[in-house]
Amino acid sequence: MLRYIARRLLDLLPVLLGISLLVFLFLQLIPGNPAVVLLGPRATPDQIAALQEQLGLNRPLPLQYLSFLGKLIRFDLGRSIISGIPITQELATRWPATFELSVAAMLFALILGVPAGILAAVKKNGWIDNLAMSSSLLGVSMPVYWLGLLLVYLFAVHLRWLPPSGRLGVGVSLQPITGFYILDSLLQLNFPAFLDVIAHLLLPAITVGTIPLAIIARITRSAMLEVLSQDYIRTARAKGLLERWVISKHALKNALLPVVTIIGLQFGTLLGGAILTETIFSWPGIGAWIYEGILARDYPVVQGGVVFVAIVFVLINLLVDVSYAFLDPRIQYK
Amino acid sequence: MLRRLKRWQAVLFIFAAAITVTLSNCAPQSSTAPTTNGSAAAGDASTLVFGSGGDPANLEPGNVEDSNSIYVQQQIYDRLVEYKPGSTELEPGLATEWSASEDGRTWTFKLRQGVKFHDGTPFNAEAVKVNVERWWDPKSKLGFRDAGKTYAIWEGLFGGYKGSAESILQAVNVVDDSTIEFVLKEPFAAFPAAIGSGYFGIASPTAIEKAGADYGIAGSQAVGTGPYKFVEWRTGDRLLLEKNPDYWQAGLPKTEKVVFRFIKEPSARLAELRSGSIDFTVDIAPDQLKELQSDQNLKEVRRPPFNVGYLALNPSYEPLAKKEVRQAIAMSLNRKAIVDSFWSGLATSNSFFMPESLKQYQDSSQADYEYNPEKAKKMLADAGYPDGFDLEMWYMPVSRPYFPTPKPIAEAFAADLGAVGIRVKLNTKDWAAYLNDRFKKPGYQAFMMGWTGDYGDPDNFLYYHFGPGGTKDIGDWKNAQAFKLLDQARQESDDTKRAPLYSQVEKIAFDEAVRVPIVHSEPLLAQRTNISGWVPSPLANETFATIEKQ
Repeated sequence: MLRYIARRLLDLLPVLLGISLLVFLFLQLIPGNPAVVLLGPRATPDQIAALQEQLGLNRPLPLQYLSFLGKLIRFDLGRSIISGIPITQELATRWPATFELSVAAMLFALILGVPAGILAAVKKNGWIDNLAMSSSLLGVSMPVYWLGLLLVYLFAVHLRWLPPSGRLGVGVSLQPITGFYILDSLLQLNFPAFLDVIAHLLLPAITVGTIPLAIIARITRSAMLEVLSQDYIRTARAKGLLERWVISKHALKNALLPVVTIIGLQFGTLLGGAILTETIFSWPGIGAWIYEGILARDYPVVQGGVVFVAIVFVLINLLVDVSYAFLDPRIQYK
Repeated sequence: MLRRLKRWQAVLFIFAAAITVTLSNCAPQSSTAPTTNGSAAAGDASTLVFGSGGDPANLEPGNVEDSNSIYVQQQIYDRLVEYKPGSTELEPGLATEWSASEDGRTWTFKLRQGVKFHDGTPFNAEAVKVNVERWWDPKSKLGFRDAGKTYAIWEGLFGGYKGSAESILQAVNVVDDSTIEFVLKEPFAAFPAAIGSGYFGIASPTAIEKAGADYGIAGSQAVGTGPYKFVEWRTGDRLLLEKNPDYWQAGLPKTEKVVFRFIKEPSARLAELRSGSIDFTVDIAPDQLKELQSDQNLKEVRRPPFNVGYLALNPSYEPLAKKEVRQAIAMSLNRKAIVDSFWSGLATSNSFFMPESLKQYQDSSQADYEYNPEKAKKMLADAGYPDGFDLEMWYMPVSRPYFPTPKPIAEAFAADLGAVGIRVKLNTKDWAAYLNDRFKKPGYQAFMMGWTGDYGDPDNFLYYHFGPGGTKDIGDWKNAQAFKLLDQARQESDDTKRAPLYSQVEKIAFDEAVRVPIVHSEPLLAQRTNISGWVPSPLANETFATIEKQ
């Protein structure tokens, strides 16, 4: 098992090489460059050319790529061209925000999605099934943007139960230690901050979590249906086991494999940052940051950000693969 | 199992009922009753919360161009010269008085005495010199250009850096501890206005030396002499300032703390304002005016217009080479109707390229283009285009105060031009490419663009669009008379003599119609009713020191 994990980690290297090359090339393909954005409408062509030279954008492409790669190996992701902030510093503050939001969203999706899927499968074609499936269809097809705004207007503007955006209220003091605010507030035994952080987390988590919730519910249902039609389930029922044991012990565990796969993929995607949700909720995460970087042609931000997100995605996939072995003893890694 | 299901049904039922009730609660949007303690979430009265459109680029004077940065820097730093609240008139800042030499080439500034930077460093002529050299001199040790710093705005406003032929500045000299002089290569009457623009706050030399190339970025420091001291900046989230107790203006600032919250989405800023978690904010979309007005806890605030949105017509495209054709285009656009429908009344349209704040430099008798499609058609026919012609028109991919919704506005232009026989093909591309490619020969045939003034002087509007070097995007259009007038105005330090020069340039611009002014918009801002003393500047760099919160 350990050897397998080690080998998979080694596999990361070519993947990262490929990704870094792709990001680099794609950025070059987009017309315009940081010099233009930095100087704005005021700039004359001469000024743009001079700034390009200063930023090293006139060097041959292979050379630019090699210098980026050389720094990457030394874990030096450079600095943002626009703000001058080191990429690693931005990642250190933004990654916890994205991670916290992703975990909250996944919790929301799992706690509602898996039971809804199971229930729908068990009561196939009943009203619960219909309700769960039609609302999940709604969930997948609802524009995230619209849902987010709706939630803000309902819960923040009209009812004033929850804050409309941000991670922490202005009147609440919390000194970041790890950058994970829930953890930080607990570490400092700062209960008001803890509640405030949770309150800020709710709406964005529901917004990002809705699509994964719907997908998880649907996958769980179809996986359960397939398992429930197996012979061993009939046997289990025939030998008089309680239905709840049949469902939870015999059916569910075997139905979980595709569910776990999809959870992993969804979680990986969330960790890449949710651009729309982060924008609506002014969430200081990775998605909106990379997006802004693309608009501003802030090459170091995009390159560093995407490579980092790719690493996370690959690691989550690895975790999912490893978890198969626990769910299904027949799967063995060598 | 059956019993459990029933419980489920009950839960679902209650959930559904709750949703119905809450939804029906929120249905009437027309008016929200005033709340007594609506801003509780925005902290107490000692903390002002400002909804900013985004993070500042950095907190380093002279190294930013965007309004988010300028807003923060305005509070931390002072400039040599300031602008009177809500206007483009100058008033003393860190300099108490200034004057030009006889030949207009030397500007001398008397500096305020007894002022200290937040870190205790005394403010004096030497400090000013260090700051200016950082921006201007590529060899300045404290400029850290090898770390990628550009100070591009200096080049933009003062021609170039030390050693370049285009640099307006020739030398900066410390006369004595409280006197500094700038020697220019040629007279530049707008110099005090330009050095007083929001970009050029004076920072503590000691702090710069200490922080090195990191000065002004998040996690580092920013030290000025302004009403507020920099405390903390959490990128993507917020920035915290606190009162400078030793501020040189007695009685200011009026609030203990200021929090900048970064909220990119205009609708999100309005939602925050309505929920009371921010106290005031900028750049609300014009179509949200009604929602804003319907909430009794809020007050709309309008920034005096200091921009222009225009339609550029490139004479290097054959049909547009004739002045009459360009005038016919200006005449066929129903600019008033367009402005009324896309700006919710938050804009004006007139014959001037410069906004109304600079009206002392305009001839008020100058008539506007009349809206007359029939006459336009005839002019086109006379110019040799009885059947019109094809025109490729570019519209901006991004929203700006002068063009909040570029695409539908462009479609309205196209419809108006279609009515006189000009077949418009609309086009756009990514903003960075849009900006860049307009300089590629032969340039766009027609395009939408705009400008927000950097400082309160006509030079900043007219020289950059109709003067030498400013017309590359309209096929190097040249008008010898306009060039001459603009240069003359730069050399004339007497304002009463400059005014007629600029009003003549306005007339030429109007007549030539290479950049047809469409609109001067009033950016829409908003505040909660419990704050007072906020006077928005046309230049978007007003101080927060005078704002009070109940």
